Amino acid sequence: MTLEGEQVGCRRLKVKAETAKLAEVRDFVGQVATEAALHPERVFDLKVATSEAFANAVEHACSSAEDLEVCTRVSPRLFMVEITDNGCFRPPTLPRQPDHPRGLGLPLMVALMDEVSFTRAPSGGTTVRLAVLLGT
Amino acid sequence: MNVTVDKIGGAPLLETQGEIDHGSCAPLQLALDAALEGGNDVVFIDLRKVTYIDSGGLSVLLSGVRRLRERGWLGVIGPNHNVKRLLEIVGLLVDSSFRLFDSMEAAEQAVLERAPA
Repeated sequence: MTLEGEQVGCRRLKVKAETAKLAEVRDFVGQVATEAALHPERVFDLKVATSEAFANAVEHACSSAEDLEVCTRVSPRLFMVEITDNGCFRPPTLPRQPDHPRGLGLPLMVALMDEVSFTRAPSGGTTVRLAVLLGT
Repeated sequence: MNVTVDKIGGAPLLETQGEIDHGSCAPLQLALDAALEGGNDVVFIDLRKVTYIDSGGLSVLLSGVRRLRERGWLGVIGPNHNVKRLLEIVGLLVDSSFRLFDSMEAAEQAVLERAPA
Protein backbone atom coordinates (compact mmCIF):
# COMPACT_ATOMS: atom_id res chain seq x y z
CA MET A 1 0.00 0.00 0.00
CA THR A 2 1.28 3.44 -0.87
CA LEU A 3 -0.24 6.73 0.05
CA GLU A 4 0.67 9.77 -1.93
CA GLY A 5 -0.51 13.31 -2.03
CA GLU A 6 1.48 14.71 -4.88
CA GLN A 7 -1.51 16.51 -6.28
CA VAL A 8 -3.31 19.13 -4.29
CA GLY A 9 -6.64 17.76 -3.22
CA CYS A 10 -5.78 14.26 -4.38
CA ARG A 11 -5.04 11.40 -2.07
CA ARG A 12 -4.10 8.13 -3.61
CA LEU A 13 -4.08 4.49 -2.63
CA LYS A 14 -2.63 1.70 -4.73
CA VAL A 15 -3.70 -1.82 -3.83
CA LYS A 16 -3.63 -5.23 -5.39
CA ALA A 17 -6.71 -6.20 -7.37
CA GLU A 18 -8.14 -8.60 -4.79
CA THR A 19 -11.47 -8.63 -2.99
CA ALA A 20 -9.48 -9.17 0.21
CA LYS A 21 -8.41 -5.51 -0.19
CA LEU A 22 -11.97 -4.17 -0.17
CA ALA A 23 -11.93 -3.28 3.53
CA GLU A 24 -8.63 -1.41 3.14
CA VAL A 25 -10.04 0.57 0.21
CA ARG A 26 -13.23 1.36 2.12
CA ASP A 27 -11.32 2.46 5.19
CA PHE A 28 -9.17 4.78 3.08
CA VAL A 29 -12.16 6.41 1.41
CA GLY A 30 -14.07 6.55 4.69
CA GLN A 31 -11.20 8.26 6.44
CA VAL A 32 -10.70 10.90 3.77
CA ALA A 33 -14.43 11.56 3.46
CA THR A 34 -14.77 11.89 7.22
CA GLU A 35 -11.85 14.32 7.30
CA ALA A 36 -13.65 16.31 4.60
CA ALA A 37 -16.57 16.58 7.04
CA LEU A 38 -19.06 14.65 4.95
CA HIS A 39 -22.20 13.52 6.71
CA PRO A 40 -21.75 9.97 8.10
CA GLU A 41 -24.53 8.73 5.83
CA ARG A 42 -22.73 10.06 2.77
CA VAL A 43 -19.49 8.53 4.00
CA PHE A 44 -21.25 5.17 4.16
CA ASP A 45 -22.65 5.69 0.64
CA LEU A 46 -19.18 6.46 -0.68
CA LYS A 47 -17.75 3.35 0.97
CA VAL A 48 -20.41 1.15 -0.62
CA ALA A 49 -20.12 2.73 -4.07
CA THR A 50 -16.32 2.53 -3.95
CA SER A 51 -16.51 -1.13 -2.93
CA GLU A 52 -18.82 -1.86 -5.83
CA ALA A 53 -16.52 -0.13 -8.32
CA PHE A 54 -13.45 -1.80 -6.85
CA ALA A 55 -15.08 -5.26 -6.78
CA ASN A 56 -16.06 -4.81 -10.39
CA ALA A 57 -12.52 -3.81 -11.34
CA VAL A 58 -11.18 -6.85 -9.46
CA GLU A 59 -13.60 -9.13 -11.26
CA HIS A 60 -12.33 -7.88 -14.60
CA ALA A 61 -8.69 -7.35 -13.68
CA CYS A 62 -6.02 -8.94 -15.86
CA SER A 63 -4.43 -10.46 -12.80
CA SER A 64 -4.58 -10.00 -9.06
CA ALA A 65 -0.90 -9.12 -9.06
CA GLU A 66 -1.71 -5.79 -10.61
CA ASP A 67 -2.50 -2.66 -8.70
CA LEU A 68 -5.68 -0.71 -8.87
CA GLU A 69 -5.57 2.94 -8.01
CA VAL A 70 -8.05 4.75 -5.82
CA CYS A 71 -7.84 8.53 -5.83
CA THR A 72 -9.93 10.96 -3.83
CA ARG A 73 -10.37 14.59 -4.78
CA VAL A 74 -12.19 17.41 -3.09
CA SER A 75 -13.43 20.47 -4.94
CA PRO A 76 -15.64 23.22 -3.61
CA ARG A 77 -18.59 21.45 -5.20
CA LEU A 78 -17.78 17.74 -5.09
CA PHE A 79 -16.15 14.96 -3.16
CA MET A 80 -14.88 12.53 -5.73
CA VAL A 81 -13.44 9.01 -5.75
CA GLU A 82 -11.79 7.65 -8.86
CA ILE A 83 -11.04 3.95 -9.25
CA THR A 84 -8.67 3.26 -12.12
CA ASP A 85 -7.68 -0.09 -13.56
CA ASN A 86 -4.98 -0.93 -16.02
CA GLY A 87 -6.82 -1.70 -19.19
CA CYS A 88 -8.73 -4.92 -18.84
CA PHE A 89 -12.03 -3.43 -17.85
CA ARG A 90 -15.25 -4.58 -19.44
CA PRO A 91 -18.39 -2.59 -18.83
CA PRO A 92 -20.43 -3.80 -15.87
CA THR A 93 -23.16 -6.17 -16.92
CA LEU A 94 -26.74 -5.69 -15.94
CA PRO A 95 -28.55 -8.71 -14.55
CA ARG A 96 -29.48 -11.13 -17.28
CA GLN A 97 -32.73 -11.93 -15.57
CA PRO A 98 -34.56 -9.66 -13.15
CA ASP A 99 -34.78 -12.34 -10.48
CA HIS A 100 -31.08 -13.11 -10.50
CA PRO A 101 -29.34 -11.36 -7.62
CA ARG A 102 -26.15 -10.43 -9.40
CA GLY A 103 -25.32 -7.23 -11.17
CA LEU A 104 -26.33 -5.10 -8.20
CA GLY A 105 -23.12 -3.11 -8.20
CA LEU A 106 -23.91 -0.57 -10.87
CA PRO A 107 -27.49 0.10 -9.73
CA LEU A 108 -26.20 0.65 -6.18
CA MET A 109 -23.50 3.06 -7.38
CA VAL A 110 -26.10 5.04 -9.30
CA ALA A 111 -28.59 5.01 -6.42
CA LEU A 112 -26.07 6.15 -3.81
CA MET A 113 -23.98 8.67 -5.74
CA ASP A 114 -24.83 12.08 -7.20
CA GLU A 115 -22.61 11.45 -10.21
CA VAL A 116 -21.21 8.25 -11.72
CA SER A 117 -19.13 8.16 -14.87
CA PHE A 118 -16.89 5.75 -16.76
CA THR A 119 -13.96 7.06 -18.74
CA ARG A 120 -11.64 5.05 -20.96
CA ALA A 121 -8.11 6.42 -21.26
CA PRO A 122 -6.08 6.18 -24.49
CA SER A 123 -3.80 3.73 -22.67
CA GLY A 124 -6.78 1.41 -22.28
CA GLY A 125 -7.29 1.90 -18.56
CA THR A 126 -10.74 2.71 -17.29
CA THR A 127 -11.63 5.13 -14.54
CA VAL A 128 -14.88 4.93 -12.63
CA ARG A 129 -15.64 8.28 -11.08
CA LEU A 130 -18.00 8.48 -8.14
CA ALA A 131 -19.02 11.83 -6.74
CA VAL A 132 -21.22 13.33 -4.09
CA LEU A 133 -22.23 16.97 -4.10
CA LEU A 134 -21.00 18.80 -1.05
CA GLY A 135 -23.51 20.55 1.13
CA THR A 136 -26.26 18.02 0.44
CA MET B 1 -16.35 -12.99 9.24
CA ASN B 2 -17.82 -15.79 11.33
CA VAL B 3 -21.32 -17.17 11.16
CA THR B 4 -22.82 -19.05 14.07
CA VAL B 5 -26.08 -20.94 13.74
CA ASP B 6 -28.69 -20.88 16.47
CA LYS B 7 -32.45 -21.40 16.58
CA ILE B 8 -35.27 -19.00 17.28
CA GLY B 9 -38.81 -20.29 17.60
CA GLY B 10 -37.62 -23.46 15.86
CA ALA B 11 -36.26 -21.58 12.82
CA PRO B 12 -32.55 -21.29 12.01
CA LEU B 13 -30.90 -18.07 13.14
CA LEU B 14 -27.65 -17.12 11.41
CA GLU B 15 -25.61 -14.72 13.51
CA THR B 16 -22.86 -12.72 11.91
CA GLN B 17 -20.93 -9.52 12.51
CA GLY B 18 -18.65 -6.89 11.04
CA GLU B 19 -18.52 -6.08 7.34
CA ILE B 20 -20.20 -8.26 4.70
CA ASP B 21 -18.68 -7.59 1.28
CA HIS B 22 -17.63 -9.53 -1.81
CA GLY B 23 -14.57 -10.84 -0.06
CA SER B 24 -16.25 -11.89 3.18
CA CYS B 25 -19.77 -13.04 2.28
CA ALA B 26 -18.98 -16.69 1.53
CA PRO B 27 -19.48 -18.04 5.10
CA LEU B 28 -22.93 -16.43 5.27
CA GLN B 29 -23.88 -17.82 1.87
CA LEU B 30 -22.76 -21.30 2.93
CA ALA B 31 -24.71 -21.12 6.20
CA LEU B 32 -27.81 -19.88 4.38
CA ASP B 33 -27.50 -22.62 1.76
CA ALA B 34 -27.33 -25.22 4.53
CA ALA B 35 -30.39 -23.75 6.29
CA LEU B 36 -32.38 -23.72 3.05
CA GLU B 37 -31.36 -27.23 2.12
CA GLY B 38 -32.73 -28.31 5.47
CA GLY B 39 -36.19 -27.47 4.13
CA ASN B 40 -36.91 -24.61 6.53
CA ASP B 41 -39.68 -22.22 5.52
CA VAL B 42 -38.36 -19.41 7.72
CA VAL B 43 -34.72 -18.44 8.15
CA PHE B 44 -33.43 -15.54 10.26
CA ILE B 45 -30.25 -13.55 9.83
CA ASP B 46 -29.13 -11.45 12.79
CA LEU B 47 -27.56 -8.24 11.47
CA ARG B 48 -27.40 -6.39 14.80
CA LYS B 49 -23.61 -6.57 14.87
CA VAL B 50 -23.14 -5.94 11.15
CA THR B 51 -21.64 -2.53 10.52
CA TYR B 52 -21.47 -2.60 6.73
CA ILE B 53 -22.96 -4.45 3.80
CA ASP B 54 -22.68 -4.08 0.04
CA SER B 55 -23.85 -6.05 -2.97
CA GLY B 56 -21.74 -9.01 -1.81
CA GLY B 57 -23.92 -9.40 1.28
CA LEU B 58 -27.11 -8.08 -0.31
CA SER B 59 -26.86 -10.80 -2.96
CA VAL B 60 -26.86 -13.42 -0.21
CA LEU B 61 -30.05 -11.95 1.28
CA LEU B 62 -31.68 -11.71 -2.14
CA SER B 63 -30.82 -15.31 -2.94
CA GLY B 64 -32.45 -16.40 0.32
CA VAL B 65 -35.61 -14.42 -0.41
CA ARG B 66 -35.80 -15.84 -3.92
CA ARG B 67 -35.45 -19.41 -2.74
CA LEU B 68 -37.99 -18.97 0.08
CA ARG B 69 -40.56 -17.27 -2.13
CA GLU B 70 -42.77 -20.31 -2.64
CA ARG B 71 -42.68 -21.53 0.93
CA GLY B 72 -41.93 -18.83 3.46
CA TRP B 73 -39.77 -15.83 4.22
CA LEU B 74 -36.36 -14.57 5.22
CA GLY B 75 -36.28 -12.56 8.43
CA VAL B 76 -33.57 -10.00 9.15
CA ILE B 77 -33.06 -8.70 12.67
CA GLY B 78 -31.74 -5.33 13.75
CA PRO B 79 -29.87 -3.84 10.77
CA ASN B 80 -28.35 -0.44 11.48
CA HIS B 81 -29.69 2.67 9.76
CA ASN B 82 -27.29 2.55 6.81
CA VAL B 83 -27.70 -1.17 6.20
CA LYS B 84 -31.47 -0.68 6.30
CA ARG B 85 -31.24 2.02 3.63
CA LEU B 86 -29.52 -0.45 1.32
CA LEU B 87 -32.17 -3.10 2.00
CA GLU B 88 -34.70 -0.52 0.87
CA ILE B 89 -32.75 0.47 -2.25
CA VAL B 90 -32.57 -3.12 -3.50
CA GLY B 91 -36.30 -3.58 -2.91
CA LEU B 92 -36.16 -6.02 -0.01
CA LEU B 93 -38.34 -3.96 2.33
CA VAL B 94 -41.34 -4.30 0.03
CA ASP B 95 -40.77 -7.96 -0.82
CA SER B 96 -43.46 -10.28 0.53
CA SER B 97 -40.85 -12.96 1.26
CA PHE B 98 -38.73 -10.63 3.37
CA ARG B 99 -39.41 -9.44 6.91
CA LEU B 100 -37.56 -6.94 9.05
CA PHE B 101 -37.51 -7.11 12.85
CA ASP B 102 -36.22 -4.62 15.38
CA SER B 103 -35.66 -7.20 18.07
CA MET B 104 -35.15 -10.88 18.69
CA GLU B 105 -38.42 -10.95 20.64
CA ALA B 106 -40.41 -9.60 17.68
CA ALA B 107 -38.77 -12.16 15.38
CA GLU B 108 -39.59 -15.01 17.70
CA GLN B 109 -43.16 -13.82 18.03
CA ALA B 110 -43.58 -13.75 14.24
CA VAL B 111 -42.26 -17.25 13.70
CA LEU B 112 -44.43 -18.66 16.48
CA GLU B 113 -47.52 -16.94 15.07
CA ARG B 114 -47.04 -17.98 11.48
CA ALA B 115 -49.81 -20.04 10.00
CA PRO B 116 -49.06 -23.74 9.91
CA ALA B 117 -48.27 -25.03 6.45
